[in-house]
Amino acid sequence: MKTSKALAWFAIAIGCIYFFVPLIGTFEFSLRMRRGVYSFDAYRSVFSDVQFQQTFGFSMLMALFTIVFGMLLVVPTAYWVRLRLPQMRPVVEFITLMPLVIPAIVIVFGYLRLYNSSSWIPFTGSIQGTNMLLVLSYITLSLPYMYRSVDTAMRAIDVRTLTEAAEILGARWPTILFRCIFPNVMSGVLSGAFITFAIVMGEFTMAALLNRPAFGPYLQLVGANKAYEPSALAIIAFAVTWFSMGLLQLVTRFSKMASSRP
Amino acid sequence: MSFLVLEHIKKSFGQTQVVKDFNMSIEKGEFVSFLGPSGCGKTTVLRMIAGFENPTDGAISIAGKNQNTLKTNQRNIGMVFQAYALFPNMNVFDNVAFGLKVAGKPKSEIDARVKEMLALIRLDHLADRYPYQMSGGQQQRVALARALAPKPQVLLLDEPLSALDAKIRVSLREEIRQIQSQLGITTVFVTHDQEEALSISDRIVVMNAGRADQIGTPSEIYNRPATRFVASFVGTLNMIDATVADPAANTVKVGENIVKLKESIGALKGGDKISIALRPEAGSLSESAKGDTSLTGTVVLSHFLGSVIRTKIDIGGNQIAFDMFNAPDAVLPQPGETVTLRFNASDFLIVRD
Repeated sequence: MKTSKALAWFAIAIGCIYFFVPLIGTFEFSLRMRRGVYSFDAYRSVFSDVQFQQTFGFSMLMALFTIVFGMLLVVPTAYWVRLRLPQMRPVVEFITLMPLVIPAIVIVFGYLRLYNSSSWIPFTGSIQGTNMLLVLSYITLSLPYMYRSVDTAMRAIDVRTLTEAAEILGARWPTILFRCIFPNVMSGVLSGAFITFAIVMGEFTMAALLNRPAFGPYLQLVGANKAYEPSALAIIAFAVTWFSMGLLQLVTRFSKMASSRP
Repeated sequence: MSFLVLEHIKKSFGQTQVVKDFNMSIEKGEFVSFLGPSGCGKTTVLRMIAGFENPTDGAISIAGKNQNTLKTNQRNIGMVFQAYALFPNMNVFDNVAFGLKVAGKPKSEIDARVKEMLALIRLDHLADRYPYQMSGGQQQRVALARALAPKPQVLLLDEPLSALDAKIRVSLREEIRQIQSQLGITTVFVTHDQEEALSISDRIVVMNAGRADQIGTPSEIYNRPATRFVASFVGTLNMIDATVADPAANTVKVGENIVKLKESIGALKGGDKISIALRPEAGSLSESAKGDTSLTGTVVLSHFLGSVIRTKIDIGGNQIAFDMFNAPDAVLPQPGETVTLRFNASDFLIVRD
């Protein structure tokens, strides 16, 4: 018993070293821009870079659109599958898992072939169109996480009975969806939103191949041309992801508190 | 004309017919219970009245208006679900007000009606509570208030007491009946609990395999079951295998006992087999007991059950359970003892399939 416990702690220690040592190293390196002393010069340089502000803002905006339109697609779909088409659940789950199996580069080349400027739907013919295509591709990438988080939240409430209770009180579909179901799966919606935000902020392939000024390609550009700033950017990217994960934990804890009886 | 009429209702799911030619007329203000085992079709009939399911055939009308073409949200029906189904994101006030808000009632009217409903269920002090902050019984009372708030023409109760503990169940069923009588609302109550159905209904529909086996008052259902299924499902009943002794004299033979029945044995001939039934509470072992009929047998065992003593008596190969009230000086019949059970001939029921 004691040996197995020691082995477990040893495994955890190895994992922590494997994860934290490079991170600490990166952070330490990002502070060494000024010779001989530790400073936040690299961070100052990054934050004062106009391109950083533009790409970060662009990715934030794309993340926002991805979350809004993604949820408008996912919540009614998950609801409908749970309520009326439970037999379709394995099919929908399979479709939502596809982006994990098909590499992003394959998806984006498919998009370019289908939606190029000389196609029937020329998304890439204009900047707005390309941005729209980028949002759609981000929705595809985040589908596995969005769908699962919303579906899990729906599993926690009795969707069918709540729907019937609202229906017999005279409610129509929009009222049922937005006043009775949506507020009760908000924890799932927010969880999905934070994961989506983290994915979009760091995504490179889609944005680079669609030639859009997103944060991912900027990270790559800085990494290829500067010394200390890439380390600072890596730490900033980690901070954004951790912030999202922290919010996710907070939402999950609040939803658990709300659903538990006193 | 009856208020709620179900005519030749049939419902199939794929190849399986779950409701087979169901007919029922319910008067305004009546409290009717659908009683039956799981899978007998009682909830399906209720869901068809609500509009959640469409009948494969037949018509449902309320106050003379055909409901088949109406959607659920157009029927003006209130319903209480087994799982409460309160909206978790709304407090008690908002839950009760939901139907009124959907109907577009003015705020002052909504406030007044919600307060009236909360006073009716005696939970006006919990208007700000959320469902997760309340007990099951309180949640179900709120669900009842929510169903009644929009003044529905019919109230449907789908096993509303099943998820509650025994004590709450009894008090809440009395409260439901009292509120129903006070408001005079036509109510259909689905349950598999015979005690619930017998205690609060004006009439009971005993359902079996998609059909109504018997429709009658609680007393009729209990004392005069129309079929073997009703007899076995409602209450405890001794089923006795007998043979016709003399059709002209209307007598049957149970073991060595010849007993005369009150109910006519019909066209059966002497020697034909016949099933008769006897409630455990009918009759007495006391020699001074009144009764025009008796059966003599041997005690198999006696059980002390608190308020009653249940004795099993072997009479011609039939083991008949017999209940007598407990008394401090009561003596339990001993196994092997020969006893005579006295009762009235009218206590016997002839059971037809």
